[in-house]
Amino acid sequence: MTKPMNGRARRARIAGLGILALIATAPVALALQSAGADSASREAKLGTKVMCMCGTCNMAAANCNHPGSSFSGPCDVARGELAQIRDRVARGDSADLILQSFVQEYGPLVLIEPPHSGFDWTVWIVPAAVPLLALLAVWIVLRRWRGRAAPAVAQGPGVSPELLARVRHAAEDDGRA
Amino acid sequence: MDVFGSFALLLALLAAAYAFIGGIAGILGRRPLLTKSARNAGMAVFALVSCAVACLEYFFFTDNFSLAYVAEHSNRALPGFYKFAALWAGQEGSLLWWSWLLAGFAFVVLAMHRKKHPELMPLVGVTLAGIQIFFLTLNNFVASPFHVLAGMNAAGHLQVATVADGNGLTPLLQYFEMVIHPPMLYLGYTGFAVPFAFAMAALLGRYPGEKWIHITRRWTMVAWCFLGVGILLGAHWAYAVLGWGGYWEWDPVENAALLPWITGTAFLHSVMMQEKRGMMKVWNVWLVFTTFLLCILGTTLTRAGIVNSVHAFAQSSVGGWFFGFLAIVLAVCIVAWWKNRDYLRSDNQLDSLVSRESSFLFNNLVLLAACFAVLWGTLFPILSEWVTGSKISVGPPFFNKVNIPIALFLLFLTGVGPLLAWRKTSFDALRRNFAWPLAGGLAVGVVAFVLSDRDFYALICLVLAVFVTLTITSEFYRGARVIASRGGTNLLAAAGELTMRNTRRYGGYIVHLAIVLIFVGISGTAFKTDVQKEMMPGQTLRIGPYTILCQNFDQEATDNYQGDRATLEVLENGRSKMMLYPAKRFFPASQTTETMVAIESSPLRDLYVVYAGRSPQTGKPVIHAYINPLVKFIWFGGIVMILGTLLAMLPERRAALVVREAREASWGSDPAPPVTVHAGAQASRTDGDD
Repeated sequence: MTKPMNGRARRARIAGLGILALIATAPVALALQSAGADSASREAKLGTKVMCMCGTCNMAAANCNHPGSSFSGPCDVARGELAQIRDRVARGDSADLILQSFVQEYGPLVLIEPPHSGFDWTVWIVPAAVPLLALLAVWIVLRRWRGRAAPAVAQGPGVSPELLARVRHAAEDDGRA
Repeated sequence: MDVFGSFALLLALLAAAYAFIGGIAGILGRRPLLTKSARNAGMAVFALVSCAVACLEYFFFTDNFSLAYVAEHSNRALPGFYKFAALWAGQEGSLLWWSWLLAGFAFVVLAMHRKKHPELMPLVGVTLAGIQIFFLTLNNFVASPFHVLAGMNAAGHLQVATVADGNGLTPLLQYFEMVIHPPMLYLGYTGFAVPFAFAMAALLGRYPGEKWIHITRRWTMVAWCFLGVGILLGAHWAYAVLGWGGYWEWDPVENAALLPWITGTAFLHSVMMQEKRGMMKVWNVWLVFTTFLLCILGTTLTRAGIVNSVHAFAQSSVGGWFFGFLAIVLAVCIVAWWKNRDYLRSDNQLDSLVSRESSFLFNNLVLLAACFAVLWGTLFPILSEWVTGSKISVGPPFFNKVNIPIALFLLFLTGVGPLLAWRKTSFDALRRNFAWPLAGGLAVGVVAFVLSDRDFYALICLVLAVFVTLTITSEFYRGARVIASRGGTNLLAAAGELTMRNTRRYGGYIVHLAIVLIFVGISGTAFKTDVQKEMMPGQTLRIGPYTILCQNFDQEATDNYQGDRATLEVLENGRSKMMLYPAKRFFPASQTTETMVAIESSPLRDLYVVYAGRSPQTGKPVIHAYINPLVKFIWFGGIVMILGTLLAMLPERRAALVVREAREASWGSDPAPPVTVHAGAQASRTDGDD
């Protein structure tokens, strides 16, 4: 025989089910998102992965709009890079190969994201490692705070009843004043 | 007149030096008169730097191009509004502007507290004077705005020269936000010098208790708010002027402004731990120090040119000076802390992991993680070049990947933290406070999942935004309900009463709401779309629910610029909705071009239209249109943030009520029921005040 559920427990169960639903649907959401991205133009996608190398705008080639120049769109350099991508995509080159060709031509500076290899790999690792280390530090601090001994009761001879009575008397006088 | 300006700056430096040295001598020798005269010298700096600023403005407004700085940043056709703003358009003027704002803050601090805190204020004055000496040294000897143009006369002698007209102000700066964005940022940067000075003074003077925290709370909030508003204005300027459809590109200079704002936010939270429980004293002092150091680092990055940035108009060789100053300030901070570290011992211990204290710890941890990630990404290209010999780019994808999860966790803590009680929170209280907000957030999330384009982070952001909004609303509701039931007022009036009784707490909640709005606005980026098309009159472009019909292109001309302007009719569902006039302007004085974006803004989306100019290949006009969802939430969030901060700075009505009740009781009259005092605390279900 099941016990009747009270309102609070029912609400807690609904909230729990809601959390489970969100967790369960999250991978689906991610999958749908990546499927959409796959269908997008490879050329446009690769254009956002390389910097415009004109040296003035500091933007991705696909997003280059050159503030302050006569045309608010890809400059000659960015257009050249986008054309290069278009040709290589048409030739059937893989994304990695296309990006590598840019690195060979301009150096690693051309990649908008830092490489995931060698020393530059640390740019990705450190921001993840530091909060974890900080978390560990916080945990240690919390343990120390919680583990700190309660103030010890003073040792030594007890207070005499006469002294206690005298102090109590003085305190009462203060209170009346 | 240039001599007058230079002389005023020199006198200001001497006054600051006297305030510094005289102040130290007065403190060490216990000579009150000397201390007082040092304080007066510190206040006089403001008057003297004001003279220099007025002098430079006089040159701008009278089109006197004998000064190199004026010739470089102004011209005759420049509207007066921008002539005023040209003061901070370049390196020398912006440093003078720094000095003036810093002197202004120092003046107000020293004047306001001149009869209070006799042990603390002399040290505060000395610290502020030390900072002023650095900036005034730059103003006088490294980057003076009063350098005159010189040329050889017929006799071969050097003489003051002038040019017929100046180079004009960079067109990108000829925009309303640019007139107020730099002052706001600089008010934030310089404002953080005040809590820094108080923290340093309290540490050096071993000032007892948490008094300095109470004194500087409002100062910190003022600086934090100015910096936040400055950042948002900068974002709005980038959005409305640069014409790329975005507002934040993780540019090093944008990051530099964000860093002290993040640590300032951490300080505003952790400082409550020290006030309420006497904990985190070392942490707080270092947060204040770090915030000020990051302010200096920010301005160093702006000027030193060590990282690539679109803010290239202020680069020069002053970087070395700033690095030297940074090193000195850091050394002073370390020594001051090391010598007085026993003064910073914690008074209390943590009673439970599920408590307000631990939520503040996590909040600080996450904020500092975000700050570190931004700093790390900003400076990594330099480190990489130093280690590997080749330079790399750390662009927006890195910052987005690293910071979005951190920011979302922070948003979660924004909802959780305020509902936890000081010392310990029971499981029952947790369930009671969080069940409905969590359920509400999840319900909205499920609906959005079904109906929207299902961007993962945007969905999580929406769920958390609803969760935080509901937790804050429930806090207001519970408090207001108690007051309404006891006082017989309606809920709205009771909510107002509740807010005024604890302005700090409820002002803080309103700031949290502002952060929610800003997050929602940022999440709209996930659904941004754009279309670019060559358009001749009569042609149309479709984007989202809009059809843009090109009517014609014409020219506009003023003394300051010549422009090409597009006239576009926007139709929604076949009906004419509005006209838009995006333009491209050419400024002959500086030989550069500016985009005038046309934006039709509504709460849910912006139609953002750029006249990109004529295509380099075909010569035809090109229109670039964007749909930017929810952007208005960001700007509206900024306004709410200002209102919340102002509210949090107001004195609380509760203290006045307590005094009134005590007086009534002492007169023997029937005292007012204690509900006015206890209602807020009872209603909050947490035992804290903040």
